[in-house]
Amino acid sequence: MLRLLLNRIALTIPTFVALMFVTFVMLRLVPGDPVEARRGERGLSPEMHAKALHDLGLDQPVSAQFGNYVWGILHGNFGTSIVSKTPVTQEFFTLFPATVELTLCATLFAILVGIPAGVYAAVRRGKFFDQALMITALTGYSMPIFWWGLILILLMSNTLHLTPVSGRVDLIKYYYPQTTGFLLIDSILNGPKGAFLDVVRHLILPSIVLGTVPLGAFARMTRSAMLEVLDEDYIRTAKAKGLSAFRTINLHALRNALIPVVTSIGLQMGSLLAGAFLTETIFSWPGVGHWMVQSIGRRDYPVLQGGIMLVALVVMLLNVVLDMTSGLINPRLRHEK
Amino acid sequence: MSAMTSPTTMSAPTPLAAFWSAFKENRGAVIGMCVVISIVLAGIFAPLLTSYDPLIQYRDVVKVPPIWAEGGSWAHPLGTDPLGRDMWARLVYGSRLSIFIGAAVMIVSTGVGIIVGLLAAYRGGWVDVLTLRVMDLIMAIPDILLSIMVIAVIGPNLTNTIIAIMVVYLPRYVRLMRNTALVELKKDYVTAAKVSGVLPMRLMLSTVLPNCLAPLIVQAALGLSDAILAAAALGFLGLGAQPPTPEWGSMLADAKDLIQSNPWVMAMPGLAILILVLAINLMGDGIRDALDPRLRRS
Repeated sequence: MLRLLLNRIALTIPTFVALMFVTFVMLRLVPGDPVEARRGERGLSPEMHAKALHDLGLDQPVSAQFGNYVWGILHGNFGTSIVSKTPVTQEFFTLFPATVELTLCATLFAILVGIPAGVYAAVRRGKFFDQALMITALTGYSMPIFWWGLILILLMSNTLHLTPVSGRVDLIKYYYPQTTGFLLIDSILNGPKGAFLDVVRHLILPSIVLGTVPLGAFARMTRSAMLEVLDEDYIRTAKAKGLSAFRTINLHALRNALIPVVTSIGLQMGSLLAGAFLTETIFSWPGVGHWMVQSIGRRDYPVLQGGIMLVALVVMLLNVVLDMTSGLINPRLRHEK
Repeated sequence: MSAMTSPTTMSAPTPLAAFWSAFKENRGAVIGMCVVISIVLAGIFAPLLTSYDPLIQYRDVVKVPPIWAEGGSWAHPLGTDPLGRDMWARLVYGSRLSIFIGAAVMIVSTGVGIIVGLLAAYRGGWVDVLTLRVMDLIMAIPDILLSIMVIAVIGPNLTNTIIAIMVVYLPRYVRLMRNTALVELKKDYVTAAKVSGVLPMRLMLSTVLPNCLAPLIVQAALGLSDAILAAAALGFLGLGAQPPTPEWGSMLADAKDLIQSNPWVMAMPGLAILILVLAINLMGDGIRDALDPRLRRS
């Protein structure tokens, strides 16, 4: 087990080094230097320009700059935002809980709806329900989520007034200190009465929107994995020895069908974490995606660079954890080599 | 040629005929194909379907609702946007862009994927290792993040959208091509060809490649819809085609503030994206099942 872990981490390192190189080169390729990008309308005297370059360390040779960059990252320094002048890591970790909370809720939604739907479709193979469900799942899978979010806002918020349009909580009505950054937890710990429900209401639409594509994927995958398992001999044995349909399906078939599905849940979570860009933009969700999209508009390249590094780092670590857990649920992987 | 000379002899169906007979069994796939073909035709013959120019602003008919809503008129069947541009014309001309982007990404990444993948499989050694490492690196960065990164460097416009999406989706084709080619290279017929003195270029392109095509075609068909969605998403974030280009994603971004007052201006471009992507996915599923049942993705 430990060997597998070390092996996986060792495989991540070259990718990480290459990523540092790519993000470094990226910033050098952007037309114009960072000083020019923020000099404003009044312009800058050549001396001021040179001084600003010197302050940023941009007057050193490129190799030295790369050295500084790598040295900084290895010490947890991912750069400083040009606009807010705060370290990128600090901004990232303030906003990251919002993205994680949203991603977890979206995944939960996709799992709770997608897997039972897939199981039921497999059991009723070829029937009307199966076909209707598979069309729905494919529609979910094909959904342009930025449009889906707007349509849901139109229906649920503007027409039916059921859910709020944007943000994580109504701060005017419910103001309370945030200890963990996860509002679901904070609102229970410190929040006034009603704050928790308000947080939940804010989470509903973004979770549905972000969860739609994985929902379609999970339903389709569960169905096909179940179809394969249902043909196996041990299912026939289970049926023959008189187990109820419920036990056969949920205890015998589903457990084996879930292995590929669990792997894909992990994979989807990685891309969701990063793909929250669109959802966060639509719902003004104060998370990492929203922050990075804004940084492009502001030409705040250190944020973009640091943000990319941090998100990619999180996704890489998540993949390592994922490989480990798939070792846990699938003993065959654990004993390889 | 042979069909002309011997029309009566029974022979094995051509690959295309075999594919078609399997494909047409799948009703959803056929419907999807019909929708895709009609959208492509609509794009090609856009000037025949509408007399309006998608860029001209008819300032005296601003925000006309579509025909089924109160106040709609046949002059603008799907209404006009806040600048007085005809929605139907913009949607029809917009289909050209979406399909062009999708097709361009698909063709270029398949082409590059074939060349790089074949090279990696044939040469092996450091070429192979380097290719795989680069592809791993690309895949380590989440899709949309990487395309945003590329756009940030080369600037937002239509051509760069294609480049950015291509970079993101290239690894799929390269890895698929390499892995399939490696399997084929071990087979006897390849050894036979090598022994009989076929040159490497010809060996790879006309002996190995045709036998690797099935999974590549499937990947290309399914990748088409991903590319179209990604392009629309970039357009929506303001990083793709720039206004006033009638690209569906950027049309949606323009209209998102009109959600209260003129919801149809917002609803229609998104619906168009959904229909096109859904149709391509239906068709792609059908192609996959018909070409290679083992590839059933999910």
